[in-house]
Formats: sequence, C-alpha cells, structure tokens
Amino acid sequence: MAEFSTTLVDKGNISVINLEGYLDAHTAPILESNFTELIDASKFKIIVNFQELAYISSAGLGVFMAYIEKIRNNSGDIKLTNMNDKVYNIFDLLGFPLLYEIFETEDQAVNKFKENDEVGSK
Amino acid sequence: MEKDSFKIIENFQFRLFLVFGGILLIFKLFLPGSNLIIYRVVSDFLILATISFLFISLIVFIERRKVSPISLIMNIGILNAFVFFLIMFSESIMSLLFENVNDRLNNPGLVSTGLTLGYVLLIGGFITYVLVALRHLFFLKQSSTQHIYFLTMVVFFVLASLTANYLKSEELSFISNTFMILSVLMMLINSLRISWIAFIVKKEKIALLILSVVIEVLFIVNLNNTGETTVHKMMLSSLSPSLHEFTNIIMLYGAIYFGVLFFTTLFHMPTADVFDRKAEEVSSLQYFSKLITQVLDFNELAETVTDITTRVSSADASWIIWKENDEFVSIANKNIGFVDSNLINRFILEKVDWKTLKETTFLRMREFERKAELSQPYKAVAVSPLKAHGEIKGLHVAVRKNEAKFNDEDKNAIATFSDYASVSIENSRLLEESIEKERLEKELDVAREIQKKILPSKNPEYENLEISSLFVPAFEVGGDYYDFFEISDSKLGFVIADVSGKGISAAFIMAEVKGIFQSLSKTIESPRKILIYANEILKNTLDSKTFVSAAYGLIDTNEAKMSFARAGHCPALFLKNNTSQNLRPSGIGLGLSDNKQFEETLDEIKIDLDENDTIVLYTDGITEAKNEKLDDFGEKYFTEILLENRNRHLDEISKKVIQEVSMFSHNHSQYDDITLVILKWKQKTKLVSLGEEPGHNRMEK
Repeated sequence: MAEFSTTLVDKGNISVINLEGYLDAHTAPILESNFTELIDASKFKIIVNFQELAYISSAGLGVFMAYIEKIRNNSGDIKLTNMNDKVYNIFDLLGFPLLYEIFETEDQAVNKFKENDEVGSK
Repeated sequence: MEKDSFKIIENFQFRLFLVFGGILLIFKLFLPGSNLIIYRVVSDFLILATISFLFISLIVFIERRKVSPISLIMNIGILNAFVFFLIMFSESIMSLLFENVNDRLNNPGLVSTGLTLGYVLLIGGFITYVLVALRHLFFLKQSSTQHIYFLTMVVFFVLASLTANYLKSEELSFISNTFMILSVLMMLINSLRISWIAFIVKKEKIALLILSVVIEVLFIVNLNNTGETTVHKMMLSSLSPSLHEFTNIIMLYGAIYFGVLFFTTLFHMPTADVFDRKAEEVSSLQYFSKLITQVLDFNELAETVTDITTRVSSADASWIIWKENDEFVSIANKNIGFVDSNLINRFILEKVDWKTLKETTFLRMREFERKAELSQPYKAVAVSPLKAHGEIKGLHVAVRKNEAKFNDEDKNAIATFSDYASVSIENSRLLEESIEKERLEKELDVAREIQKKILPSKNPEYENLEISSLFVPAFEVGGDYYDFFEISDSKLGFVIADVSGKGISAAFIMAEVKGIFQSLSKTIESPRKILIYANEILKNTLDSKTFVSAAYGLIDTNEAKMSFARAGHCPALFLKNNTSQNLRPSGIGLGLSDNKQFEETLDEIKIDLDENDTIVLYTDGITEAKNEKLDDFGEKYFTEILLENRNRHLDEISKKVIQEVSMFSHNHSQYDDITLVILKWKQKTKLVSLGEEPGHNRMEK
C-alpha cells in the first residue's frame, strides 16, 4: 500500500497543508480530515503544497471539490502550489486550472492571499 | 405448557381408582364384617384394584411433573411423620371412642367402619406413594431400563402378603415365608440401584444424608408400631389382613432402601466436591463447544467465560481485561465491582507483561500495596492470556478470597476456559472478516454486472468507419464508460467517460451517465452542447466530491468531418500518416463547476477526416498503468505503440496495446478499468467495396 501523509503549517492567517506520497481513494480521508479541521477552526485561507506528492487519483481530486464551496463562501480559498508536471497534467486535464489558482511556489500563493486582503481592506 | 396443565383428575387410571375406591366404600358400608372366604377375596380384590390404580396414576403424575429426587424423598419423610402420628393417635382415639376396640372392630357399626375405611385409605395412600416414589428413584439415571426387577419385586410383595393371609396353616406357611424371603432379597437388590445420588450436588447430598437418617428412623419406628396387638393392625386387618402384610412389607422396603441410601450417600460425601466440579466441567465444556460454533456476539462470550470460571474453579470472582482504544478496561465482571476489578487490573498489568504472557500465571495480592482499597479481601489472582491470531487480545482474570493458592486443578480449569475463549474470539473475528469479504465481493459482482450491461455489446457498423472497442475491468469496478449512438446512417456519436471513485457507487453513476448521453444524443448533435447539458444535470445530482470526465464526438460520414468536445477527459489521439496529435480542446470535468463557467471554458473542435485517419479514445487506466516501481505506462509509450502498429487491423492494435500494458504492469495489479476505443476513417471503403463487391461475391462462389 502506497503511503500518504500530510503536515500542517501555519503562516500567519494562512494555513499550509503539505502533501506527501500517494493520494487516492484509500488515503483521501487523511486529507479530508485536514480540511474539516481547518474549517472547524475557521481557517479558510489554505494553501496546499504538492511538492512531495507523487501521485493523485480522481478520488484525490474530489477532496478539493468537496470543501471549496464552503471555503469560498467564507471569503477564503484553496490555492495549490509546487506541483510536479505529472500531477499538474492530471489537474490540467480535468480543467482544475480554471477552478483553482495554481502557483509554482508557496510564496506566490501567500502573496496572492495578502494582495487580496489588501484589496479587501481598501 | 401442556404438561403443566396436566390434571390428575382427568387421568383415566385415577378415575378408575375413584370408581374402585367408591365400590370398596359401598361394599364395606353395606356388608360390614364377615368371615366368609368369598367376602375376604372380594374385599382384597377391591383393595388391590384400588391401590393398583392409585399406583399407576401416581406414577404418571410424578413423571409428568418431573419431580426432583430430593423433593420425592422429602415427601416420603413428611408422609412418614404423618403416618407416625396417625398410628399413635389411632391407638388413643379408638380406645377413647370404643371401650373394647377389638370387639368393636369385629362387630363394627357405621362409625367404626367409616373411621376404619378412612384410616385404611390414608395408610394405603401412604404406602402407594412410597412405592411410587421408590420406583421413580429406581429408574432414575439408569442407562438400561430394568422393569422386570421392580415388577418381580412388587409381584412378590403382593404374593407374600396374600399367602401370609390365606395360607395360615403351619404346613403351608413355608410358601408365604418363601415369598417373604424372596421379597426381602429383591428389596436388597433393588435398593442398590441408587446411582442417581452421584448426579446431585454436594448441598443436596448433605440434605439427603440428614433426610435419609430421619426417614430410616421413622420407617423403623412405624414398622415397630404396627405389631400384633396394635390398633393399627386391628383396623387394617378388620378390613383386609393382606393389606396389613403389604403395608409392613413396603415399610420394610422403605427401611432397607433408606438404610442403603444413607450409607451410600455417606460414602459419596468425601468425593462430592470433586464430583460436583467434574460434572460442572463436563457440562460447561459441552456448553463451550456449542458456544464456539455459535458465538457471534463477543460480549455474550465474555460473560459466559467469566460465569463458568466462577462456577467451575474455586474462584470467587472473574472478569476479562480487554484493550479498547489503547485503554485497559474490565468487561464481563462476575461477582466483582468495576472499582475493585480496575484496581486489581493495575496490579496485574504491573506484574504481568501483556505481550509475552504465555500461560495461566498466579499472583499474590499480598504484594499489592493498594489492596486496602478493595472492598473485598481478595488474596490470590490467576491471570491467563486470551489469544487470537497469535496475539494477546485480553487477559482472563480469576480471584479468590481464600488464602490458599489456586491448585493445579483450578489452573487447568481456568486455562481450559481461556483457551476455549481464545478459539471463540478467533472464530468470531474470522467470521466477521469473511462476512465482510463476502459482502464486498457480492457488491463488486453487482457493480461488474451493472457495468457489463451498460457498455455496448457490439460495435456499430458504418461503411466509412472501422471501429474497435476494448474494455478490461479492474477488480474493483473503476467507473469507465464508453458508448456509441447511431444517430443516423451517416452520423455516429461516441462518448468515453470515467467516473471518479470505484465500486458500486461508480457503477450507479455510470448508469446515470449512460442515460444522460443516450437521451441527449437523440436530440442534440453538437458535442459541446451535449456536454453542457450533461454538466448541468450532473452538477445537480453528483455529490461535491464526485465528478465525471468525458469526451464526446460526432462523425458525419457524408461530410467526412468530426466534431469533438472534451470535459476533463484524457485527450483523444488523432493519428494521421505517421504523426500523432492530441485532441485536447479546453473543458472542465462534468460536475465540477457551475454551468456558466463550464460553458465559457468549453471548446469544440472540428476536424476533416482523410483516408486512414484514426481517432483513439482511452481512459487513464492505460496511461496510468503502473509497474512494480510505480512508474506510469505513459502517453508517450502508448502513442509509440499506436504509430508502430497503425497499419494493422484495429482489433490487433487494441490487443497489442493491452499486451504491452499487461507486460508493463505484470508485477502490479490492474488498479483501474482500461477502455480503448479506436475509429478509423475509410474514405474509399464505399467505392472500393462497391466496385469489388461483385468480384468478391464471385470469388466466394
């Protein structure tokens, strides 16, 4: 069985979930619990870092869809970063770049959140 | 219920008893006293008949009631005491009522006849009950039924009492003496049949010991009080001398029986404890072996284990320590509270290594510093492992208050029950697993069946098109779907889709997707529009986690054109000459986004078809097939194989692809469904076939 794990890092008011290993139907519940945890704590600004993710299946993709609506309704967002080509290709095929903001680095995503905050505060 | 509602009055023999009793009463009242032999014979016959029917009906009564031997003996004792007083009082009452009892009885009036009859009936009832009870005890726990012994004895009794009465002369007395001796002999033999005492528990044996002494004494006293000059004898003899003899014989039998019973019970006493426990062990082992095959409920099993432990070993209390969510808890407590058991658990877990305990181990509570907190002064502890799957799942604990250590016998008993419990736990676990496995397999069978029915059974036939389709299901149904829609003679619609998720839920969504495309393709031609409608429907029906990737195409054979749109699916490959091109118009997967965004981002492409142009539709089961290193089969390799084999027949190309995929992933199970649909444009097919058809036909002929 391929392994999968996540780590949670707080960056100010932004939460970063680092993914590692293989995300499929069997391991998806781990990520799901991360999202519910963050939502329960009213942390709606989430970055998911794919740096260490080797593979994602369609069930893994479904996890992101499950929470996005609730998060966006609370003026938050899920931004995806550091995808390798293979993972990006899977997201791309399904049209995820049209639904999510995907960045090359975590910093870009953090900056984007900050920009939006500034726009919002003005 | 029927047995309980049994009423002795409704019994046929009992009615006969009442009839004969009545006749006897009338007979005696109207024809009191006579020394005629015929009178005595009739009288004896009536008495014999009355007692016989009472005897039979009492037998039925006792057997229906399933009276325990102890209560039978208790009844004999009570009746004996009653008879004792009856004999005593008969003496004084009769002497009070009548000046000369003997004369009075020889020339009886109505009152004395009535009293005599009543007395005789009571005594008759008593001896009948004693005989029935002893008969019942005689047959109790006998493996072979030996009616003949008891029957012979009773026949001898009757003969002895009758002959003693009718053949009084000196010369003939040997006959009655012989019968008497034979009777006593039979009594002795039959009195030895008391194996039933082995089956009663120690407490009952003690009770029996006391009872048998008392009854023995009562029998002897009563026997002694019925001698030659007693009123008892006079009263009985006035009615029937034979009955008096018979009464004495029964009382003698009783005396002998209870004498033997007393000594036998006495000799059984020292072993009563062991016997009790062995009997308990045997019965609980039987219970256990039944349990092993039946148990489904773990709690029930735990209760049984601790219950039997307290009953069979000398333990005062028992429970099981079970590991639940990394915490040790007491379950199935027997004769002990949770506060106490939890305290002792700490002590046990300090002393015993949970993981390595091999067999039943004894601990001394003396070493437990918190033993003062216990509500009961427990002294010794026995701990046995409960193993399943080679791993300790729990500990079976037995404690006792007695200072004496558990002995080997206890150790064996406790260990046996722990072993049985382990087997049962293992069994119930295996059972649960196999039920779950069976359920999953059934579910997957259903899913595969649905999928099989959803996919087209054959490829459509179009003059300008060669079509091949191939589907390889994964063990878990993967949710692949493809279909063809024969819109008209010149228009063919085709779709390929992949439902996210697996198993039966994916199969059901496939069915929904098929329905959607089937109905939409009938009214709408544009692939883009069809996908937009499909998205609208699926967005509303699918849960937020589920989506469907799909690609839809339409080939117009008159125009030699294909229009194609893609909603998140793998791109179609378009092979032209020696090149391969990805057909990848923009589009989001179905069910992922609202319709506005979906529509805005969805493109449709139109392609002109030339001779041998080939369209390859596939699902990610091919490109994401994995080898043992978890490398992907990949789009590049896939394209290479297609181009290398592009001139072969389509079915051969499909076969070749599958061959390569399975060779690539032979060390890795097929994780996802594989679907491969290939369409090849044959511009000239129509012309060539038209031109060649006559020749073709001729050749065949």
